[in-house]
Amino acid sequence: MLLALVLLPIVAGSVMLLLRGEDRRLYRGIGVVVALATLVLAFAARSEDWSAPWLRAPFVANFHLGIGALAFWLIVLLALCTACAVLAVDSARPRALVGQLLLLEGTMLGLFISRDLLLFALFYDLMLVPVFFVLLERGEHPRDAWRYIIYNFAGGLLLLFATAAFGVLHGTTDVIGSAGNAISGTWAPWIFWGFAIAFLVKTPAFPLHTWMPNTYASLPPPVAAVVGAVQSKAGLYGFFVIAMTLMPQEIARYSTALIVLGTISLLYGAVAALVQSDAKRVVAYSSLSHLGLIVIAIATQQPLALAGAALYIVAHGLFTAALFIGLGYVEEREETRSLARLRGIGASNPRLAGALTIAGLAMLGLPGLAGFVGELVIITGIVQSGNIAVAIVAVISVVLASAYVLRLFQGIVNGPVAHDLPVRRDLTWREGIAIAPLLLALLYLGVNPHAVLASGSVAIPRAPQSSSAGVTMP
Amino acid sequence: MTLPFTHVDWAAVAPLEVLAATGLLVLLFDLIWRPFAPRGISLSVALLGTILTAVLVAQQYGTNVAAFNGGYVVGNFSVLFGEVVLLGTLGALALMGRGGSDRESAGTIALLLWSACGALLLAAAATTMTIFLGIELLSLALYCLCGLADRKSAREAALKYLLLSSTASAVLLFGMALLFGASGSVSLAALATPAMATNPLFWMGSGFFLVGIAFKLSLVPFHAWAPDVYEGAPLPIAAFMTVVTKAATIAIFARFAYAALPAGASQMLLLPIWVVAGISMIVGNVGMLAQHDLKRLLGYSGIAQVGYILAALAGTTRLGLRYAFFYLVVYAVMNLGAFAVAAVLSSGDAEEGTQLQSYRGLGARRPLLAAAMTFFLLALAGLPPTAGFLGKILILAAAAGSGYLWLAALLLVGTAISLYAYAKIILAMYRPDHRVHGAETLRGAPLPWVSLALCLVATVALTFYPLLPSGLLPLVK
Repeated sequence: MLLALVLLPIVAGSVMLLLRGEDRRLYRGIGVVVALATLVLAFAARSEDWSAPWLRAPFVANFHLGIGALAFWLIVLLALCTACAVLAVDSARPRALVGQLLLLEGTMLGLFISRDLLLFALFYDLMLVPVFFVLLERGEHPRDAWRYIIYNFAGGLLLLFATAAFGVLHGTTDVIGSAGNAISGTWAPWIFWGFAIAFLVKTPAFPLHTWMPNTYASLPPPVAAVVGAVQSKAGLYGFFVIAMTLMPQEIARYSTALIVLGTISLLYGAVAALVQSDAKRVVAYSSLSHLGLIVIAIATQQPLALAGAALYIVAHGLFTAALFIGLGYVEEREETRSLARLRGIGASNPRLAGALTIAGLAMLGLPGLAGFVGELVIITGIVQSGNIAVAIVAVISVVLASAYVLRLFQGIVNGPVAHDLPVRRDLTWREGIAIAPLLLALLYLGVNPHAVLASGSVAIPRAPQSSSAGVTMP
Repeated sequence: MTLPFTHVDWAAVAPLEVLAATGLLVLLFDLIWRPFAPRGISLSVALLGTILTAVLVAQQYGTNVAAFNGGYVVGNFSVLFGEVVLLGTLGALALMGRGGSDRESAGTIALLLWSACGALLLAAAATTMTIFLGIELLSLALYCLCGLADRKSAREAALKYLLLSSTASAVLLFGMALLFGASGSVSLAALATPAMATNPLFWMGSGFFLVGIAFKLSLVPFHAWAPDVYEGAPLPIAAFMTVVTKAATIAIFARFAYAALPAGASQMLLLPIWVVAGISMIVGNVGMLAQHDLKRLLGYSGIAQVGYILAALAGTTRLGLRYAFFYLVVYAVMNLGAFAVAAVLSSGDAEEGTQLQSYRGLGARRPLLAAAMTFFLLALAGLPPTAGFLGKILILAAAAGSGYLWLAALLLVGTAISLYAYAKIILAMYRPDHRVHGAETLRGAPLPWVSLALCLVATVALTFYPLLPSGLLPLVK
């Protein structure tokens, strides 16, 4: 069933790409059914484990699939986001778009259920291809496609090299999710940085983020939703299941470097989000900021911070997807994303404005929504780990988040109706259903975060404490 | 009078005899058929003969015969490299359905088969004499074949190839003479004695020998001829040269590096080759960036890919040879696949399919063909789920395992550059503003399609069932 979980969306997507005709309802329908089927399969196959031999030399590698605790929530998030994104597709040529979305889902599912580093690396590179093609065919400029593929492929090559080196050193790459595979020695730092840089490119974190705003702004909203919400988590997931479990000494040794990078991302992203004039770029830079917070949480290795990070990974995915889909609706209606021109959507499209507001409030960390719990737990964890200064910076970034979110909403939702922009009808049922599950999930996790919190801390093995972590709070 | 060789010797070279006889048969048909043999007949005979040869070669797997006093060593090594040679020959034959005049087709096919004979000989050659014989047989036919197309660049290509390849042969021969002076024997195995490590003649001879090999492999700085020659040569011949010539030359190099060097001297003597291979990865991939002709582009790509294959051999480890062979097979199928796409797009001598211009908007006009081309280009760049991906990681593992980290690093840099060049073609095929309107009237001949489909299947299948033969060594009995 695990194999079916990966193959179903990949096969469905490939077949769709080879078909002809552009029946919007048909392709949307198939896409949603496939995405929901993967959701069901993920629940059904939660405790399964499947393996087939691949390589015996120079190291042992298997096609080993299984669903870990954190991976399970990422898969649920992915299936949900894909279903919503497919439903939100409103292109004149929907076939290829839905097909690429399904391929994207399948490749990322493969990534999250890989139990083998080599298989992980395979899917890590493979998931670039659908996004690259969407950027090529529908992006605003070819250079966005270039920047995306070159940056991420370079990161993927480092990952490949680190995987090969790990395999040669350790003898097997079938190590994800099983204990006792930590490596040490003179090679370990090199392998660690190979993985870490690849993950930091994907997340992205400063200074490896420059591909990201262009990519998110250039992608069609449904694809931007899936890429921004889930693909960006591939790197963080890698930190959890690869860097932390296989190289615990290295992550402790270089935690300062990672904390510095995370802190710069946190502040830089927030400040940059504050001055963007393109609504999608505001969300893109906010993503840099929020994911920087997760990088810090991972670097501290504090159990509480890690549990918070697991929750915030899911929460960030939910509100990012909701925002990209919502902003996509705005762009469809008003034919612009410029904050200088947009205003007064609330008067003509109250339902759309409401949806955007909920997603935005989740992003700025309003209590009661999932974003708040994640941020709170992470910052508590950072304080516990003794990095008080970093915690203060994190709190400042939360204030900045309020500023840019409110600026976004003042710009789009409030104010007098813009007379130079077209007035279109409010959300249809289909459009509403495409965004509602994400908002409901945000609310649910906001009041009941334990489901994800618990699974996140279970998945995380205790790493050796670094010497700097001296302070413990009562 | 007694013959100096027994039937065992002649049985060992049976595949060569069959392949050479097939060439003769093709010519014979052409002679008796009035006014000349149709292309289909010549092609069918050639394909059947090549497949029969492949079967005969495969039957030698597991045997170990040193025929002709050790001049022709049949073993797993020769079988596997021989099969790659025949694979390349089949791939090239499949593209011969169009282009050139029908009257010349039989002659062309016969020459191609004899050239393949030379390559097949090289796969098993274990003395300097047989190596030279194989190289000349391989090259002589190619000099004619390069100049066959009716255009100016073809004559330029033929002349350039003749001059440069002859120079390389001369250097190689000089090296062989010095090696003979050092060891008093033409056998490669005789060189692997400790006494050689202190013999200056051996060092000079090996140096010249390796320079000759580097010429033939078109490694930087001896690479400039390759793109020019491929550009001028007819499409099937260019496909043949990129795969078969490379496979045969790598076979000699591997045999020399693994079996003919005294233990102490080997790493130091081969170091320049690894350096040159590393530079080739960068120069080849950078060279691709500015090309407008697919054959030139694949020529530069080939320079870099040979660099990758040699990187697997660095350190001359047992595993490295397996990975080098694996990547050679992978390179052969993905390269032949890309050539097959170009052949489907070409209507004849004009070879439109080699102009990158003609790929603009292909995604809308011929979605299947564009998808296939995309697939092969991504495979050449090393993206999954193609065998190019697995091949790269195996080479990385081999290079890292034998301590050549700098080669692994150069491979990563080269690969990152190469993606840009390959993706440029993909961009032209799919970018909406590159769309060219108008219906496509070309109908493809079936053979290139068959070749294309087989290459596609092989490229995927090799990822999941990697063919890593274990019994390649020993190379010299």
